[in-house]
Amino acid sequence: MFKLTFKRGGIHPKEMKDLSKDSAFEEMPVGAKVYIPLVQHIGAPCTPTVQAGDYVKVGQKIGLANGYVSANIHSSVSGTVLGFEARENAAGRRVRHIVIENDYKYDEAFLEPLENPSSEEIIARCKEAGIVGMGGATFPTHVKLEPKNPIKALIINGSECEPYITTDYRLMLEKPIEILKGVDLVKKALDTKQVFFGIEANKKEAIEHIISHVDDEQLSVFELKTKYPQGGEKQLIYALTKEIVPNGGLPSDIGYIVLNVSTCLALYEAVYLGKTSYTRYLTVSGKGIKRPANLHARIGIPYEEVVDYLGGANEFVKIISGGPMMGVSMHNLKTVISKGSSAILLLTEKEIRDVSPTPCIGCGRCARACPINLMPMLIDDAVLNNKIEKAESYYALSCIECGCCAYVCPAKRPLVQSQRLAKKLIREKNLKK
Amino acid sequence: MQEKYIVSSSPHVGTNLTTKKIMLHVIIALSFPLVAGIVFFGLYSLFLVALSVAGAVFGEWLYNKLRKKPITVYDLSAVVTGLILGLNLPPTVPFYIPIVGGVFATLFVKMLFGGLGKNFANPAATARVFLALSWTAQMTRFMPPINYSTRPLDFFAGFKNICSSASYITTATPLGTIKTSAQTGFLNLNLLDMFLGRIGGSIGEVCSLAIILSLIYLLVFKIIDWKIPLTYLASSVIFTLIFYKKGYNFILPSLLGGGLLFGATFMLTDYATAPKTFWGVIVYAILAGLLTILIRRYGGYPEGVCLSILIVNILAPLLDKIFKPKPLGFVKKKRKTIKEGL
Repeated sequence: MFKLTFKRGGIHPKEMKDLSKDSAFEEMPVGAKVYIPLVQHIGAPCTPTVQAGDYVKVGQKIGLANGYVSANIHSSVSGTVLGFEARENAAGRRVRHIVIENDYKYDEAFLEPLENPSSEEIIARCKEAGIVGMGGATFPTHVKLEPKNPIKALIINGSECEPYITTDYRLMLEKPIEILKGVDLVKKALDTKQVFFGIEANKKEAIEHIISHVDDEQLSVFELKTKYPQGGEKQLIYALTKEIVPNGGLPSDIGYIVLNVSTCLALYEAVYLGKTSYTRYLTVSGKGIKRPANLHARIGIPYEEVVDYLGGANEFVKIISGGPMMGVSMHNLKTVISKGSSAILLLTEKEIRDVSPTPCIGCGRCARACPINLMPMLIDDAVLNNKIEKAESYYALSCIECGCCAYVCPAKRPLVQSQRLAKKLIREKNLKK
Repeated sequence: MQEKYIVSSSPHVGTNLTTKKIMLHVIIALSFPLVAGIVFFGLYSLFLVALSVAGAVFGEWLYNKLRKKPITVYDLSAVVTGLILGLNLPPTVPFYIPIVGGVFATLFVKMLFGGLGKNFANPAATARVFLALSWTAQMTRFMPPINYSTRPLDFFAGFKNICSSASYITTATPLGTIKTSAQTGFLNLNLLDMFLGRIGGSIGEVCSLAIILSLIYLLVFKIIDWKIPLTYLASSVIFTLIFYKKGYNFILPSLLGGGLLFGATFMLTDYATAPKTFWGVIVYAILAGLLTILIRRYGGYPEGVCLSILIVNILAPLLDKIFKPKPLGFVKKKRKTIKEGL
């Protein structure tokens, strides 16, 4: 059967979702200390609003958004602020973390729940609660809710195309009503009626479950072909509407907004329960973990506590924050769960890609896999020979870093890394001008 | 738990296809026409192909040794080059020809231009053209296939003429027949014999059946892209119709005779020397078909596959430049600024 999908390229990696897809969400216990990173989103770091010695409550704001594209952060436990510590965050950067000693009382400082909020109230709540894109991109959601152009339709992303991750799948099974209520809130905020809900074909149960809970004629659920990167914003828009976002533009330029299911759920909790964004749902998986699971965890819990909770680890060689295609590998298990942690993966030697590159044989597989229609091997060649202008002429800046090129490369070349390098060098060169 | 973990750029998973595995697939595919060639022309063909492989591997190894570089022969690409060259030789050539050809292919055409993936022309095609120019008589002496019902011992006969091929009874290849009858438009060839390989020709190119099996094998395992072979074959058919009198009589003989199928499957599809862009590949294959038929019809040689492959190989980078793909959703910058200006 013909299924909706994006225009070109793409791959179908081993799904590996069976490891965790049948385990329901568990509440992750909290240890004696939590470490809340001051950067959990794309945009400016937060300014801390607490000092060492202060007493904070669950959900209380402890970091203030710095500018428009930024998001507040909140305490995930109640207790005393011990101070600040520089640690590696889930994006692999060293940032300041607020260390809070847990008093296990969980005194709550929630916002006032809203009964029937207006568009402005929803956006203000979204901003106050510090909601960011929970799919992993962590772009502040309130920015998306205030687009410059009128919005034709809202697109809900339930595709979860990354291997291993089953967070959104479990959420669609366990919290469909809450998600759909969150979708209604976004509709109201954006003043739009039409909603397209895209779910990949390998999540049949989720599709059926969501459809059975929909009572909105203008919300249509679509089954998408199981193909990576189906959940990429531009790929998803093409799959559902056959419209192409202009190169370098945003989805709102052509009248669409894409939100992840877990972001909708976070918005529901913020508006109707007054809960700020201090927890998240995530998958812990990979052959390296003894017991793969889906967790509901407070932000600021170090990975090592998660691993201990799940019965320890087998021999593993790689720790990944996020999915295996676009996630970031970590130096150690001291990294903490943050708003963007859609998954923690412990991968064994057998699961990971061989990383010793051999010469490019010019087979063209990367170009055929590229969903953006780029020529990764030529950009790789140009940037490694320090020909920045040439790399730019091959449109390196349009790369979405989805990883399809490096996935298919038989010569095991680190193509994504060279695209990133090309993008960085091109931007530096253009700044100098 | 260990102390240190691998920290590297995403993606963290990948296919288990490697360069070496690709080469192994190609070697398996090449073994079909090789077996057919041994059946039709005797054990000496295997000896020739083995020498060609040995020459090619030695050429690459020698370069690595002389330049004090790591030995790269283990990726098996030199074996593939040697096999393709060996299968392109007539089954009667003296033993030194495949050795010289093999060394020439890897040492001069491949390694001197940067090794795997960097050569601008197909090493096997270049070596074959080099051999054809150096030993024209030997390279055009084709023997008829062994008749097992009357002379089964001919299977081992090739080794008697290891140093010289002068004593062979030669036969006309179908391409020669096509060339002479191109004026009249009438052709008398046994198409079934051509399909099965009961004709004179190079070791690997005679059995079209085996080559079609190889093509299917390579397409099924996605080692080669369908665009090059199928476009090349289609373009050859179309230009045969155009350039030959009563062209429809010549379609199947053109496809089944000579190295057209072999070139389409193994040589034109060579990764390093083919373009990478969609339209570049299409134009490349169409041009190759045009040149092959032009050389066959109007050129001095009966066969034009290797020469046309070499010519389009050189055009490949240019085609990639001309047909540079635009990213999805590409907007012309100029138009944007005009709009903003207004």
